[in-house]
Amino acid sequence: MSSTSHSPRRVQLVGSRIRELRKGHRLTQTELSEKIGVAQSDLSRMEQGEYKVGLDTLFKILQVFDLKMGEFFGETATVPTPRLEETRELVTEFEALSEEARREARDFVRFKKLQEEKASSPAPPEEDEEEKP
Amino acid sequence: MSERRKHLEFLRKTAREAVWAGDYERALTLSDDGLSLARAWKDGDWEDLFTCNRATVLIEMDRKDFDLAQIKEILLRSCSSRNGVRAAYIAATAHESRGEYGRARFYAQAALQKSRELGLDEHTGTSLNLLANLELHESRFESARDLFQEALERYEAQGESLSRQAAVASDNLGYCHIALDRLDLGVPLVLRSLTVLESLAVRQAMDYPSLDLCFAHLKTNRLEEAQDWGTRALALGDEFGRQDVVKNSHYLLAEAYSEMGRESDAEEHYEALASGYPNFPALKHYLRQISLIGMINLRA
Repeated sequence: MSSTSHSPRRVQLVGSRIRELRKGHRLTQTELSEKIGVAQSDLSRMEQGEYKVGLDTLFKILQVFDLKMGEFFGETATVPTPRLEETRELVTEFEALSEEARREARDFVRFKKLQEEKASSPAPPEEDEEEKP
Repeated sequence: MSERRKHLEFLRKTAREAVWAGDYERALTLSDDGLSLARAWKDGDWEDLFTCNRATVLIEMDRKDFDLAQIKEILLRSCSSRNGVRAAYIAATAHESRGEYGRARFYAQAALQKSRELGLDEHTGTSLNLLANLELHESRFESARDLFQEALERYEAQGESLSRQAAVASDNLGYCHIALDRLDLGVPLVLRSLTVLESLAVRQAMDYPSLDLCFAHLKTNRLEEAQDWGTRALALGDEFGRQDVVKNSHYLLAEAYSEMGRESDAEEHYEALASGYPNFPALKHYLRQISLIGMINLRA
């Protein structure tokens, strides 16, 4: 069964991004080219956008960097990360609930939020724990 | 021509037709028969020819169980003959199939030079094609385009514009233009190639043109057409056991479906593609999020 909604545009893998990632991982061109099985001069051309490769090499690049999605997309991400996908699924499920069940779900979320806030707020220091000069 | 040579020539031609029809097992049997007979009749030239042709068939079958050193011996022994050109060409394709592109280029240049010297037009055309393919593999699209253009012009000058080789050159030239974003020049060349291949009933050579058209339509966001050509390419890749075609088809189809918003269809192709990489379990996840279209070379 096909969905009818268009997916958000995905991030393009481009040479300049490979260069940034390589530098971020503190890899030299020689080191990365050895890992992905291309000549260093070809990797240099790849980073300049002149050299294109087959799927196997592209998959090796993804594997070498073994990215977290956020790391790949950087700050300008507009595509769904796994977290956003999860949120979208939750919203869909929430909307399918009855009004009463929604109220219960909201109460439960409020309860969890309060619980987390309580756990993360620092306890007031006790006098006998303070360092004496 | 003696009766023996007529018989060997018959085997050679029949084997070549079997290769063109994609019946590699039959081509291999015929080449083996020719080789045995040439040896028995102590016909050195024909023994060399069948040794070369047998290796060609094995390369077409993605097999490496032939003696490359023996092919290079033929090149050294008969460097100024048709068999020498054949041997140089096969050595180049053997190195190409092993990913040794520098060596492949060396032997391809030797084949081109010798075939030009000997005035062997068909071999000059195929050597030009091979060199161009090597350039294409290295993403030197402009250089590859010029070589394919020359190869195609040669076929046309020889009245062979409707041959299988000319059709393959036309497709490759078309792909270079598509890669260089000149779809207006590239797509008609690929379509012409398909028409010729269809008229020759060379179905196994129609996989890359179909893939190229899928890629071209994906680039211009003509997604229905991309889907259509990608589906054809995938069917041909499956039928003729071409793993490179199958992988690229799955990828391009997944991209097309993804752009169309048909996520479950896209998922099917990502799944099929990722199943080939069991050591990279996160691959499917990345593919859903990252488009590789701008970095892909279908001939690499």
